[in-house]
Amino acid sequence: MSWERIERELKKLQEGGQSADLLRNGRSLVLYRDVPTAGAPLGLPSTTDVVVPVPEGFPAALIDLAGLPVGSPLLPRVKGGQNNQGIVTGDGRQWQLASYHPHNGGGGPTWDPMRHGFHTYLDHLIAWLARLS
Amino acid sequence: MAGPSQLTARAASSPTVLRLAAPEVHALQELVFRRYPYAEWATFGRFGWRDTPHGLVLSLAALDPPGAGDLDEHVGHVAIAEPYSLRVALTAETHPLAVGVIHSHPRDYAPRPSPIDDDMDRYYAGYLDGFTRGRPYVSLIFAVVEDELAVSGRVFWKGKWVVVDRVVIERNPVRAWVGGARPLPRAPSPERTARLAAAFGDEAASRLRESTVAVIGAGGTGSAAIEVLARAGVGRLIIVDPDVLEESNLERIHGSVPGHAANRVPKVVLARDHVRAIDSHIDVQAYIGSLPQREVLDAVVTANVLLGCTDQQHSRLAVADVAIRYLVPSLDCGVLLEGGAGKITGQIAQILRVLPADPCPWCREMIVPQRVAQELMSETERARRRLAADAACARGEEPDPYWQDQPQLNTVGYHTTMVGAMIAGYAIGWLTGRFDPPFARLQMNLVAPLLDVTDVDVSAGRDCVCRRIRGWADQGVADALITPPSHWPAVRPV
Repeated sequence: MSWERIERELKKLQEGGQSADLLRNGRSLVLYRDVPTAGAPLGLPSTTDVVVPVPEGFPAALIDLAGLPVGSPLLPRVKGGQNNQGIVTGDGRQWQLASYHPHNGGGGPTWDPMRHGFHTYLDHLIAWLARLS
Repeated sequence: MAGPSQLTARAASSPTVLRLAAPEVHALQELVFRRYPYAEWATFGRFGWRDTPHGLVLSLAALDPPGAGDLDEHVGHVAIAEPYSLRVALTAETHPLAVGVIHSHPRDYAPRPSPIDDDMDRYYAGYLDGFTRGRPYVSLIFAVVEDELAVSGRVFWKGKWVVVDRVVIERNPVRAWVGGARPLPRAPSPERTARLAAAFGDEAASRLRESTVAVIGAGGTGSAAIEVLARAGVGRLIIVDPDVLEESNLERIHGSVPGHAANRVPKVVLARDHVRAIDSHIDVQAYIGSLPQREVLDAVVTANVLLGCTDQQHSRLAVADVAIRYLVPSLDCGVLLEGGAGKITGQIAQILRVLPADPCPWCREMIVPQRVAQELMSETERARRRLAADAACARGEEPDPYWQDQPQLNTVGYHTTMVGAMIAGYAIGWLTGRFDPPFARLQMNLVAPLLDVTDVDVSAGRDCVCRRIRGWADQGVADALITPPSHWPAVRPV
């Protein structure tokens, strides 16, 4: 796995004020902390932690999916949240992966490893959490 | 641990290999031979490296050429001004590469280090280490001796000096002057390769014996390439494949017999034994595994030429990554049958040239992101995604975000044999210095008028890492095009 590349991308996030960590126990995940949501007017959390699986072979393979804590009230409201794509464990918590595919026909640009990475995936997560049903 | 002042360069327990790509060699020769034939000249250079169990592999990544006044024009030997040294040293703090001095000796003077060279190397190995902090220091000498390029080198790393044992200049064969000593005369060609020697010359046959070719994939195209290379007398073959032989492979794979399929013999074992049966003098290293797994990469970076024979997109990326970061000239191939209504309408052959300065497969628009992702998934993940795709279809949704079925690529033995033999032939052309493939990306259709030959040549994308990491070796790992999936079984050398 290209840990060096991921660490470099997370550093870019840190420099931009977004806290994110690489979790390497079990299935590798990137944990984005306190990502803003549009939930406050709906009585939902205004921020949430999100995990994204590190794809096997990264960066050749595209980043896909997004996970929220199991039981999060945001899960039924985000796109793909009711289409469970698996439960993963990280940071001492369980996460439910939602059917969210921005680089895979889900509305985002075609995956280009020269431009995209975990640092740019944050934009997709923010957009995802801003469009609650 | 000795210091750099104890300058007695010896052969390391494993050979040290220096790799250079054509653009840098061209620039280097223009530079260091600018005062030829009588006076020397020099430049600093940056080097990537990989420390493998087979030896240290260095690759020239860039030059830090002298500016006006950086070298003394008034003396015949190399005299480097302090501001030049300091500039290079300070720059070294901003990149991760090794640094060294490359200089010329006058025409027909052996590239053997002189006492002045010894003083220079002692000084710079110590001086630069203050800035590079543990990276290798590399010293190279270039000369033209009897109209041939002669190169010697030594490296100070981990407290000792070692000599450069092999010099691999992309497609141009060159023999290292180990420790500055003239290479031994080549042995005459054996009778078994007499026809090849007659066609290409005795020297070409000798070059093949001194060469290493790595073949990724020992299936239809790979087994054909291996057979051709073995019969041509290539001295060392590295063969890599993760699979065992199945009955349906018998139509294509050279050397296979039904017993191999019945016993599920690994393809690399079959290939290894077949090569040894052809010529027991060939050194065969076989690995059950895949590129870019660490042990496979360790072996492949020592090869003169790398052949990609898997026709898979992730493998194509891995081959290109080796070509670009480790300067191993490569060829990748694939075949495709098309047909319908009882007719074969297309028998496509593709050969991709991947020289270190060529664009990567992303720039060449040869990669479909979802296909690569699916190739790299674990079986568990593939099964889960197929179920998700079925569920999406049941809901009346598109299955594509979950899984896209890929058509089975059918192939036949004469087709794979032809393409495998072709890339082996082009490899022989490179190894002997006799010819180059006259294309960047060849596609042809065996059943189209005049074979419908096309050559697709594109430039590297402006922002692509393939323009920036040529020769960076392990120091460019953060920009690797692909990494090995964690679920792949461990590599097994056999």
